[in-house]
Amino acid sequence: MERTLRRFPALQAWLLLLPATAWLVIFFVAPLVIVLIYAFLERGTYGGVIWIFTVENFQRVFDPLYLDTFLRSVYIAIITTFFCLLIGFPLAFYIATRPQRKRNALLLALMIPFWTNFLIRTYAWLTLLRTNTGLINVSLMSLGLINKPLPLFGNDFAIILGLVYGWLPDMVLPLYAALERLDWSLIEAAGDLYASAPKVFLRIIWPLALPGVVAGSMLVFIPSLGAFVTPAILGAGKSLMIGNVISNQFLAAHDWPFGAALSTLMMALMLFGTLVYFRSTSQKGAIL
Amino acid sequence: MQLANSDPLRRQERAGAKVNQKANLESTGIAVELRDVVKRFGEVTAVDHVSIRIKDGEFFSLLGPSGCGKTTTLRMIAGFEMATSGQILIEGQPQGYLPPHRRPVNTVFQNYALFPHMNVYDNVAFGLQMQGIPKKEIVHRVMEALELVHLKGMQRRRPRQLSGGQQQRVALARALVNRPKVLLLDEPLGALDLKLRKAMQLELKTLQDEVGITFVYVTHDQEEALTMSDRIAVMSKGRLLQIGAPQEIYESPQSRFVADFIGETNLIPGEISSSDSGAGIVLFGSAYTTAGWVEEGLRIGEQGLLSIRPEKVHIYPADFSQTPPHMTRVDALVQQVIYVGTDTRYVLELPNGVTLAGRQQNTIPGGGQFSIGEGVILCWDPDHARILRE
Repeated sequence: MERTLRRFPALQAWLLLLPATAWLVIFFVAPLVIVLIYAFLERGTYGGVIWIFTVENFQRVFDPLYLDTFLRSVYIAIITTFFCLLIGFPLAFYIATRPQRKRNALLLALMIPFWTNFLIRTYAWLTLLRTNTGLINVSLMSLGLINKPLPLFGNDFAIILGLVYGWLPDMVLPLYAALERLDWSLIEAAGDLYASAPKVFLRIIWPLALPGVVAGSMLVFIPSLGAFVTPAILGAGKSLMIGNVISNQFLAAHDWPFGAALSTLMMALMLFGTLVYFRSTSQKGAIL
Repeated sequence: MQLANSDPLRRQERAGAKVNQKANLESTGIAVELRDVVKRFGEVTAVDHVSIRIKDGEFFSLLGPSGCGKTTTLRMIAGFEMATSGQILIEGQPQGYLPPHRRPVNTVFQNYALFPHMNVYDNVAFGLQMQGIPKKEIVHRVMEALELVHLKGMQRRRPRQLSGGQQQRVALARALVNRPKVLLLDEPLGALDLKLRKAMQLELKTLQDEVGITFVYVTHDQEEALTMSDRIAVMSKGRLLQIGAPQEIYESPQSRFVADFIGETNLIPGEISSSDSGAGIVLFGSAYTTAGWVEEGLRIGEQGLLSIRPEKVHIYPADFSQTPPHMTRVDALVQQVIYVGTDTRYVLELPNGVTLAGRQQNTIPGGGQFSIGEGVILCWDPDHARILRE
């Protein structure tokens, strides 16, 4: 056995990869293929599919009703990413410029809340934001600062708030990794070469942190676009995202093929985005 | 190529922030002045009451071991660190709390600090762009600077595609293109291998003559400082120990640290005493030598150190009798002989067990004239000996 392995190094590589490959094929590739196939079949009356080929599901995707929800989801994901970046960049910069010991403590502090179940944390927001009984509105009204409840719940604001809160660490960590690697003497050199603080940021810090910005943005944008729990709870069914539509197709409308078509399209879109990202970074990597 | 002299006022006018420094431009002949500068980091005093005046056009080195405060001193001149107390003047203008981008100096960093996302051209052009100089002039000046450091044709390369020596030249060009009043260099050759470092030392010196800019050069390499500098300031533990020309520093060290740090020296302990011919030191028993210089504050009866450079110690055979009368003469035993090509080095033992180093040039083939265990006579001119505090 050992001898055979030594003589065929390729065989050894395959053996090492076998468990992971098996896992991925059974639990990732196979379901994906099923979804892809279902997207081209007709719906069964009580869920399931009828094995007749059709492209009708993809035509329905462009129905304004669904297109609107999709575009709104993209909009919410973009706004979420923007705010994560706005909050995350200064935070990552602050952490990255502390002494090593302090950095680890701060990163830990950032991560600890996220060891609590996401669902529980989202329900916690619910108790804060709810229109009539939420803690924020109740407090503000009892203090006499407002007369009627603020619209904090069951709208895009609530969803974006929940998403920004949920995905902030995914933005901060890659940004931190990029900024932590940043050679501080480059910033001093730029200052020495007559660059004011804003110029140092635009010409040195931002371009060098860009891989982190892109990675963080993708890590926030993709799950935000497909978000399901947050809009379901904080949107209170009044404000839906594409993730909710897909789940409704499978669970409520019993239209598996249409749900599969929506899923396929969204995956294709994200895959495209990811490819564009990797192309741009690998090219940059070659030059650097 | 006249980078600096073509029009010294031009940049001052463009960089609005620096206009006020125009007034005193040609006044004092002093490029940089440190007045009683102190820098503390918490409990640690990195720079301890240092006063230095660096002349216009001078190649001035700050020399000392790591942690002696030389880099902190440089960073205070650049504006990266603010002095805890004291004053720093550049061209006669107090710098106060001015940030680096408002000071008429540029820095060459130890690791070069080239911008990795920019090519050579953009790196060199950066400072000019930040000053808002017209594009046409930038192109001209960048090319001029690249030519000066022999990097023409490399504009489109990225720093990572360059060798260490080339990166070092880009860093130089990037600083010099701004025509600073003073160029600050923080161990710029530290990362290069020995051969390249030697070549760059000469090149830097030539370059400095060419552009006529004041260089303030930080190094821990005493040989480098001796080779390149007009004057050297030796620092230790945040304090300034001695300032002088290389010859002065080497020939006339004023403290044990300077004598020991610069070049090689013999430090022989003994009691300080005095005779008709002047103050001297008892080496052992009745052996006594006078010295050309005694460190201030030392008194007769105290313990001191005799400092004498190995090459100033002449070695003669035991039967040699013609030593000039004013020379110090002691017996010794050859303990070790080390052949190092140009020289032969000897470890010589005095009758009291103290060893000292001697050196002879290998003028005849075959190397050393003396062998281990041989008795010899050591001679030196008392003027070359110095008595220092222990």
